[in-house]
Order: sequence, then C-alpha cells, then structure tokens
Amino acid sequence: MVKLSVNGQSSEVDVDPATPILWVVRENLKLAGTKFGCGIAQCGACTVHLDGKPVRSCSTPVSAAEGKNITTIEGIAAEDGTLHKVQQAWIAAQVPQCGYCQSGQIMTAVALLQKNPQPSDAQIDAAMAGNICRCGMYNRIRQAIKAAAGLPDVRETLA
Amino acid sequence: MSETATASPAKKGKWTRRAFIGAGVVAGSALVVGVAVRPGNPIDRLNPLLASGENEQLLNAWVKVDADNIVTAVIPHVEMGQGVYTALAQMLADEMDADWNKVRILEAPADMQYVSDSIGRDFLFPNLDVPAIFEPTVAGGILELAQAMGLQFTGGSYSVRATGQRAMRTAGAAAREMLVAAAASEWQVPASEISTADSMIVHASSGRSEPFAKFALAAAEQRLPAKPTLKSPENYKIMGQPKARHDIPEKVDGSAVFGIDADVPGMKYAAVKAAPVVGAMVESIDASTAKTMPGVLQILNMGDFVAVVADGYWQAQQALNTIDTRYSKTDGDELDQDALFARYAAYLDEAGDEGGDMETESGDPAKSFAEAVTRVEAEYKVPFLAHATMEPMNCTAWVRDGKCDVWSSHQAPVNARQAAADAAGLAFEDVTYHNAYLGGGFGRRSESDNIIMATRIAKATGYPVKMIWSREEDTTQDHYRPSATSRFRGGLDQQGQAVSWSNIHTHLFDPKDAPTLPYYNIPNHRIRKVDVPTQLRFGPWRSVDHSQHGFFIESFVDEMAHAAGKDGYAFRRELLAGSPRHLKVLDTAAKISGWGTPLPEKHGRGIAFVPSFGSIVAQVAEVDMSGSRPKVKKVYVAADPGFVINPDGFIAQMESAIAYGLTAALYGEISIKDGRVQQSNFHDYPMLRINEMPEVEVALINGDHQRLGGGGEPGLPPIAPAVTNAIFAATGTRIRELPLSKHSFA
Amino acid sequence: MALARNIACLVILALTACSSDPAPGPTEQIIVREPGAAPVQPVAVIGDPASALVAEGKAVFANCSACHAVEQDAPNGAGPNLFGIFGKPAAEVSGFSYSDALQASGIIWTTAELDGYIANPTAKVPGTTMVSGAIEDAAKRAAVIAYLESSMAN
Repeated sequence: MVKLSVNGQSSEVDVDPATPILWVVRENLKLAGTKFGCGIAQCGACTVHLDGKPVRSCSTPVSAAEGKNITTIEGIAAEDGTLHKVQQAWIAAQVPQCGYCQSGQIMTAVALLQKNPQPSDAQIDAAMAGNICRCGMYNRIRQAIKAAAGLPDVRETLA
Repeated sequence: MSETATASPAKKGKWTRRAFIGAGVVAGSALVVGVAVRPGNPIDRLNPLLASGENEQLLNAWVKVDADNIVTAVIPHVEMGQGVYTALAQMLADEMDADWNKVRILEAPADMQYVSDSIGRDFLFPNLDVPAIFEPTVAGGILELAQAMGLQFTGGSYSVRATGQRAMRTAGAAAREMLVAAAASEWQVPASEISTADSMIVHASSGRSEPFAKFALAAAEQRLPAKPTLKSPENYKIMGQPKARHDIPEKVDGSAVFGIDADVPGMKYAAVKAAPVVGAMVESIDASTAKTMPGVLQILNMGDFVAVVADGYWQAQQALNTIDTRYSKTDGDELDQDALFARYAAYLDEAGDEGGDMETESGDPAKSFAEAVTRVEAEYKVPFLAHATMEPMNCTAWVRDGKCDVWSSHQAPVNARQAAADAAGLAFEDVTYHNAYLGGGFGRRSESDNIIMATRIAKATGYPVKMIWSREEDTTQDHYRPSATSRFRGGLDQQGQAVSWSNIHTHLFDPKDAPTLPYYNIPNHRIRKVDVPTQLRFGPWRSVDHSQHGFFIESFVDEMAHAAGKDGYAFRRELLAGSPRHLKVLDTAAKISGWGTPLPEKHGRGIAFVPSFGSIVAQVAEVDMSGSRPKVKKVYVAADPGFVINPDGFIAQMESAIAYGLTAALYGEISIKDGRVQQSNFHDYPMLRINEMPEVEVALINGDHQRLGGGGEPGLPPIAPAVTNAIFAATGTRIRELPLSKHSFA
Repeated sequence: MALARNIACLVILALTACSSDPAPGPTEQIIVREPGAAPVQPVAVIGDPASALVAEGKAVFANCSACHAVEQDAPNGAGPNLFGIFGKPAAEVSGFSYSDALQASGIIWTTAELDGYIANPTAKVPGTTMVSGAIEDAAKRAAVIAYLESSMAN
C-alpha cells in the first residue's frame, strides 16, 4: 500500500512503489486528465505538481510522492469550480487544438507563474520548452501566459 | 480575439444511452439532404440514437431542438483540434437563425446513415435534384469517391467545404423553413410574413413571438423544402465570425475524453510489440521472465505481434520489455535508407526521358527544353515522416456473446466499426463503436491497425482490454509519409520566361493533382511518376503528397527565377498573370511581409505559393542564418479559402500547419537500417518546441463564397520551400534535401 | 486520402453487407491467471541464486530499457548503450551526446559507482541529462547491476 495525497484528498493504493505516478493517477485514481505521451520525460504531457513543483509523472515513481502533495489538472480550479487564471487565459486565447498536451502545458505554466509571476519571453521559453504541442499552438500558449500574468501581449503591438 | 465561450461544450457519446422518446417520433416526417432519398424513413431509427430526453425532436439527421429551445447540431465529423464541431455548427445555426448561445454539438454516431447521406448521395443517387450551389468542383476520381463514401471520414480538409457547404447549411435552412411553415399554419398567416432570429419565430404585425421549441414537433411534420433558400454572404450573422470553439473549455480542465481515456468496468491493459520489419512474423517468444512479473494476466503471440495483458498498463509494458522475440526473415531485412534512395534513382534512371506513368502533359516539353536559352536541372529528396500524434495509438475493445464494443479515437468511425467487425468475425450491426476526441489525427487515425489489434486481443481474452502503444511502438509502426525523389528540367526563353517544365518523381498517392501546377502559366510541361517499392507502409500525412511536392515545385520555381536573374516574387507574378485570384494571394503575402525592404545581415526572405485542398496559400518566411542553425523568425501568410467560416479557427490552422511543416523541414526524418525504423521517441525524432516557433501573421481573403476550400492542410505545403528559399537568399546555399538538420551551416 | 483499399468494401457495405474472414487469433496464448484471481507467487527461478538475481535484474531493467539498450552493438536510445560499461570511464560510449557534467565527472564505472549513480543520478552528477530512472530500492539496484554484469559475459 502506498499512501498518497492527490488534489487535497488522501488515498491508499495497492501498487508497486516503482509504478510511475502517471499510471497510478490515471488507472487507480481514475484521474484521466494527466496524459501519457512518451514515457521518458521528453514531451511533458504527463506533468503534475509534487509539492507545487512540476514533475514528469511518467518517469517519477509513486514512492517519490509519499508524504508529498500531488496536484493534477483536475485540482487547480477553485473549490467552487472557478477556473484557475491560467485556464481562463487558455480559453480566452483559444489555445488548445487537439488538446491532448494541454493538461501538461497548463500545469507547467501554473508552476512557472507561481515561481515567477512576471516571466520574460526567455523565461517562458525556458520553462515551457519541455512541453511539446504537436498542433503547434506555442504562440497562443505564450500569449495566454502573458495574459494570466497581466503582461501586455507583444504579438498585438507588433501586428 | 474570440468572444467568451458561453455555449455548452460538446456532449459526446450521448446516443449510447438509447433513451427512447415516446410521442416525439413522427412517422413520415420530412427530412432533408439525402435522408429522405434513402429507402425507408430513418428518423425512427435515428431518433433514439440521437435524442436524449423526452422533450427533444429530431428535425432531420443534422439538427434537433429540445424543450428548452436548445438547438443541437449533429456533426458527422470528428474533432481532432481543427475546430470542425464549431465551424459546422456555425454553418447550420446561421442558416437556421439559431441563437448561437443556445447551440450545442453532438458528434454523429458511427452509423451508415451518415456515410451515405449528403455527399454519398452523389454516388448512390446521382439523379437527385440539388441546388447547383452544392456542387463544388472536386478533382480526382478515386479521391472524390473516397470522400464521397466516407462522409464520416474526416480528412482531406474536406469537412467545411463539403459537409458544411452541402449538408449543414441546407439542413439549417430547411429546418428554418419547416419551423416557419409550422408557425404559419398554426397562426393562419402567410409564411412570408414570418421572420426568424435568435431561435425565435416572429410575426411582427400581430406581435406574436414564440421559441423554435414551440413548433419543433409540428415542424417535423412539414414537407421537406425541395430547395431551401440559403443566405447570401451579406446576411451571414454567425458564419464569418471568430466564434469560440465549443470543445475548448473541457480541454483546459482535464475533463475532455480522448480515446486513451476509455473507462470500461473490469478492463485490463495490454502493451504490444509488433514485428519491427514490415512483413516479418513472430517465430518464437521467450516469456519466462514476463510470466513471473507482477500483475501479468496473459502473454499472447499473435503471429504478427506480441501482447502482454496485465492489471495495469505499466506492468504490461514492463513485462513485455523482458520478452525475447525471434522474427522470420524477410526480403527487407538488409535494406537501409541509402540503398532505398539508390533504388529510387535506379527506377528514375530506367524511366529516362520517356518512361514512367504520364500524369499531365501539354505542348512539347522536350523540344522547348532543347531550344531554351537557359536550362535548369535539379533533383530533390525528402525522407519518410511519422505523424507523432501526441496521443499514442490505442484502442479499447470488449468481445463477448456475439457482440463487440470498441472505444478509440478515429478519423473514420464507420471504417473503425467495420474493421472491428472483421477482426472479431462479427457483422457490422453487432459492433458498437464509441469515438472520442482525437489527441491529434493528421491522417494517422484514418488507419485501423490499432482497432484490429485491440479487437483480436480482446477476442482472445474474453474480457475488456485497453491496448496502448508505447511511444516507441507509435514511432516505429506508423504508416509514413513516404520518402521520395523528384527530378526537374526547366527551360527559360530570352526574356527569362519559363517555357518548359519537366518533372519525374517517385510514387503518387493523394491528391492526384499534387505534382501538377495548372495555376502557373508554363506552355510546355510534362509530369510523370514511377512506382517504387518503399519498404515502409504509406499513410496520409497532413497535406499528403502536397507535403513533398510543395517543397519540390516551389524550390525548383525559385531555382528557375534565380537562373532567370529575377526576384522570386516577381517571377511567380509573371507565371500567375491572368489568374487575378491567385495573384491577389501572392501579392498580399509579399505586401504584409515587406518584400523587398532591407533585412539585417545574414537574414533572408523566401516566398512560396501552393494552392491545395481548394484553398490558395502564399507564405513568406524570414530566416536568420547568423547562427549555426536556421532560425525562422516570422512567417507571413496570405490565404484564400473562398470564404472563411471561423477566422480565428482558420488562423489557428495556419499556425498549426506551419509548426507541423516546420518540424518536418527542420528535423523530420524517419530512416531505415536493416529494414527497421531507426527512430523511436522524441529524443531522436524531435519536435519543434516553443523557443523555435516563429511569429505568424495571417491575412485572410474571401475570394469566392460559393467555392470553399479546406483549412487543416493548405497551410503546410508552402512552409518548407519558403524557409529553404529564404536560406538561399541569405546564404546562397540551395537546399535540395530535407530535413535541414542534415546540413551544416557553420 | 488513402482510403482506396476501404472503398470497395464500403461501396458493397452501403448496398448489402461486407464480411471477410476474421483476423487470426493467437498462435500461442499463455494464461498466467484470470482477472480477479489472487496473484500467483512468482515462479521460482530454477538454478543458482546468482542467476535468480540476474533474472530479477532483467525484470527491473525493463524500466531502464525505454532509454538504454544493453545488447552489444544495439543503438543508443535517449540514454547510451550500457553493454560492457564496467571498468570504463564515464561518458565514453561512442555516438552518444553526453552532458558536460558527466564528461567532467571523472567516474570509472564500478559496481559501487554505478550503485550510487542509479540511486540518485542528479545528486551524484548534478547536470546529468539522466533525470529519470533512479532506483531507490537497494536490492533492485543490486539486481539490475548483476544483470548488467551478466550481459557482458554472454
């Protein structure tokens, strides 16, 4: 049995402690918003927070989460259902296309803004470069992060 | 940019609840767009599939109205990020005068009804009288047939220009006229005095006003309007507007359900490994370690692949990794990429000046080439490309008691249903196919190999199994954009005008017009192909053959321009003289890019122009070559798809196609060694990342509202040549082989 | 698009029905247990304890094999091929692009060095690109190291 705290809820799951967090949240806890993309920490689709820090859940054993708080995409909205400001910015900028990578993108962006509320373009690049979007919505991701941070959108001033 | 999403997100899978409605079903009700021409009236059958409550009435196969005055558009296409749910709903809702804030979306069930309706009727019922406006020109015989038969097939950038234009708009207009007729009958006033707006029916002179819902049941009893009147563009209220996509809210909170998220009670998980060489079979497996590993339920040698079924996917994959497998020998076991390109060259050499299969010819290309003042020759090569959808291939299947349920994300749900039926040995009717959001399609999810594999595994186990491919399996077992070689000869006259164009290239799939350039005025031309065995499986890859021919053609046009001593933009202008619509697109791209204005040192601009899938697109790329690798700074796009239904959605498709095509131009290469694909995951098949994404500026042109073009693919073909032409402008180095990562710019 | 091979089937289907032979079933089906049944005790590995350790290590290595091969001449993956790693200096497998940190580490791969590295790669060599795959369980590390050693002997 592994004791976990996910999105503020405690649970015990009967899994091999080496099982990656990804498969425990998806299969045992039925939180399917976190996605499998590559299995080797290359694409970021599986990003969750471990005590607020973004980790690649496909390559992090669940044993590493014992005694810590896991947050998934299902756990970042307020309790009354109000979306996180990053999620709201994502809708306003119409970021997702297929949407498969977006849970990971949003989790990485939320962690970035928690650490650095006013990121520069270079800081956004550095934080987000681990997350692949095959639909290529990178300009909208950048725009949404800036909107969530209350920064002006450079794209519009250039256009 | 877009208005706030107030409309409800798409409700998927609702038809599976089979909530039968009682009094709502009206036998003999009038239906539109093909439904009525089918033998028997299908609405009795469709109503329980599509209606979810007792107060809903299906007006026709494409729209229903419920008691709360919610209008639901039934979309016979799948959503893979291209925004088709929203764009098609806009077309229906606008013609119906529905209140956009009260429009919902339902994906059509995998039912034959939606395959043979609308477009399919052209094939099955060629004599059906339809307004001329619904007869856009579609080139290519087999392509047209494929698209006609697979209305539920989503691809070929076809949804808006065919289904939208032919079916959704007609359905909306017909539904509106039926509602008006029902109100006119009830109120005893002429239909001509009744107006509609925002899902309300209004008789102004008597002050009467009622919601659509009030007349939905009576409307279903009205006669089908033979030729419903469609709006002209000045009356569009919802078409042409940047409406927020319906599917986005559930894609930011983790609730969107993709194929891989299927959750079936009691299901187990399968990891698979197929024979690495195409055609090889599994000879033997050593599973002595695997069967001792935790969670393992079954180990299956399926002949062409090995599967491990376990309590969890990770357990299954871990066990699979320990299995030693021996494969049979094949003819392709020794083949590597260089040998394959040598094979292409040998076939092209053998075809020579006269061989191969003729695709198109006019004038006398040989004579005009011999007599040309300036002659240009070049050969180009491109590699295999994998799709690399972010959602790896997967499928969940349950075969029991003569029935089969299948869950996945597929571009052609009816084909998936048929593939599962064949694999299970059951009839089409005994299979229920549940489609979910596609985590990327790009053509990959038009194949059914994953459906067949999962169904075979589930048939062997007897309990539901979710099969997931590892990323390595997804990369090595794709159906690839083929590697290809293309050779050109071009001739210029005294004035530097193109007078001769000859091309011979390896293989041709779809669209058949991809290697041709009828929009360019070159009097003598000849285009041929040779078919060469390619070792790997072919599959349609975003923009299909245009993905390579856009690069080939627009690179060679640039080489001819240079040989003529002319600017690439000016040279293309000459070739497009007499085609004002094409010219406007080219001119617009040049204008917004500041073509001809000075750039910093070691920067270059390149232009490319490719009409495809009914849309005309020109792009100018601005590239910085001051570092060791090309840095694409900005891409300017001018696009004319006839009429843009959702401008923000169309711009998003241009951004997306540029990212997809630029990934391929910079890095994309699947290569073969010992008959096997060498790449396996994102570390050796890299993707464009946020720090490499160029700025994208798009200018939209509505050039012909009666002939719509596609949006998902046409943005892709110009990007590679725009970039390589820019590299030439900056450095003088002509790129004739992709990807760019093969070249050194130090 | 490439639906040519499906078309004939669909055309027929639209008019009558389309059936073909069912796809082949398994040529070999090893049923370890039924769903819901209690997990069987792992089958004892026959032979000496050393080979049992190697077998366990092979199972543990499954987790590593997403990135590393261990067969002689197998290509590098996201991580280098580990064949014959023992006794060699770090960052010397040909054709693999190593981090500066590992190249500068000065490590010679012994059982102890490998054990420390696998336990926590980023702690032992800060800056290494091996950011996943740590094995916290000492017994499993011992097993996987035994497996790596055995792969050289074969």
